[in-house]
Amino acid sequence: MPKAKAIAFVCPRYPQGAAAGGAETLLRSLAVQCARDGRKVLFLTTCAVDHFTWANELPEGPEDRDGIQIIRFPVNTDRDTEAFLAVQSRLCSNIRLSEDEEDTFLKNGVRSDALMQFLHERHADFDRLVMGPYLFGLVISAATAFRDRTVLVPCLHDEPFARLKAVREMFLSVRRILFNTAEEMSLAARLYGEAPILSSGRARVVGMGLDPFEADPAAFAKKHNIGAPYILYAGRREPLKGTPMLIDYFGAYIERAKRPLALVLAGSGRVETTPASETAVLDVGFLAEQEKREAMAGAAAFVHPSANESLGIVLLEAWMAGTPALVNARSAVLAAHCRNAGAGLWFRSYPEFEEEITLLLDNPELRRAMGEAGRRYVLREYSWDAVRPRLLAALDSD
Amino acid sequence: MNTDKGNHDSIFAIGADGIDTEAIVERIRAAVADKMARGAYRDPAVVRAERANLLCSSDDETFFPYYLECLKEAAAVDINDYEIVEKRRFMAGAFIALKKAIWHLLRFYTYRLWSQQNQTNAMLVAAIENMENRHRARVRDLEDRIARLERSNKTA
Repeated sequence: MPKAKAIAFVCPRYPQGAAAGGAETLLRSLAVQCARDGRKVLFLTTCAVDHFTWANELPEGPEDRDGIQIIRFPVNTDRDTEAFLAVQSRLCSNIRLSEDEEDTFLKNGVRSDALMQFLHERHADFDRLVMGPYLFGLVISAATAFRDRTVLVPCLHDEPFARLKAVREMFLSVRRILFNTAEEMSLAARLYGEAPILSSGRARVVGMGLDPFEADPAAFAKKHNIGAPYILYAGRREPLKGTPMLIDYFGAYIERAKRPLALVLAGSGRVETTPASETAVLDVGFLAEQEKREAMAGAAAFVHPSANESLGIVLLEAWMAGTPALVNARSAVLAAHCRNAGAGLWFRSYPEFEEEITLLLDNPELRRAMGEAGRRYVLREYSWDAVRPRLLAALDSD
Repeated sequence: MNTDKGNHDSIFAIGADGIDTEAIVERIRAAVADKMARGAYRDPAVVRAERANLLCSSDDETFFPYYLECLKEAAAVDINDYEIVEKRRFMAGAFIALKKAIWHLLRFYTYRLWSQQNQTNAMLVAAIENMENRHRARVRDLEDRIARLERSNKTA
């Protein structure tokens, strides 16, 4: 008999179309799996779509989607955005915040009094409250208020937000923490102490499962009339994800290597090309799931330039499509995936990027072997058959 | 089967149970270090490409040590790292000879300028490194003092 029969998920956004990141997708996937296992699941979220403005764009109230019930609550509209951004700017410059500044940051981030009110009235109806990602005011206040029931899915990155006192207190007080990878768990142990994270039995590595898929490797190039080999990035295009660096590296590669190669960028966010790369960069915007898989299957390599990842869902998807990867070595999570899978290479600088791209382009057999190794790794470690027992055991254990 | 290509000879064996990507990356890093020493990446395109990498690194502890390494690498300017060539086919030999003669005449003045520039670069790098070390130590000390004061304020 499961101990966690009724579970509420709390996440500031519910993923719909382009308006979500990996953390939101992860929370939704875990909720769907719990519902499929016969547990009562409710997903509590806000009416916001944009994680910069947090404007209430969607109607509040209940909705059934993806086999689960969702309830949307309005985001507080009295937040002082100017004060929030001023403190965030100091924080991102690695300036140590005073207690007052940290308070300003948390009070004026995304919050929802309506959602908190619901939790105060109904929290006893749920055996577990699964919440994430870690850096939003709403999650921090809910996790701290209901720490005994909270299962935190932090999606932790090594960034200034992770060093806030309130975040530290949340990590030290919640009932359970579900990490995506062993590297993410090690980061938490480094930031908050080995004893409270590793030795307490509260931390588990769970991750997210992927369903196996097949995709035609020729379809995407044919549809978009791409004659040259191409490398691909799919995801949010923004400095935090490393896309400006990727575009700069690609431009230098085209200039120096003088060989036909295109860079396909899928996903949301602005793309600013350089003069050296503008004719070889193809911005295809947000792709439907099957087309994204075809783009992955046809790529010579999937490039993940982000240094801030707790799982790297798109990397796992690219491997499921049988494509090798190049990743930023500054992401311990992505580099560890590549090392463990034998399916990707990692670079610290442009020269390493150049050598690795050339190596992959010159060796189709290596690409094929690495792509196959990647698919085997995802099926072994990140299929739902592998992840579901880890998830349910972590939710049910005392 | 071995798939040997260019500079990456014998890096990996296709068909093995697992691919040792760690070994591939290590070989690539060794090849990059070797090519870097030979000046293979002294190229404006590479400098431009690293712009965003440096910016991304600027918000963490690794930025300054890495930036200083780049500066040290770039500080010692080498003006003998090129060959005098001529793209035009017509009278290419004569043009090369003329360029060499001009270079020969200007070399004395250029070398003086070059040695002064290298001296200035080296002094600047040393000064920046020294300032960075001193400021880092002072900031660490101040942060410790603030934390101690905050703790004692709380207990008071």
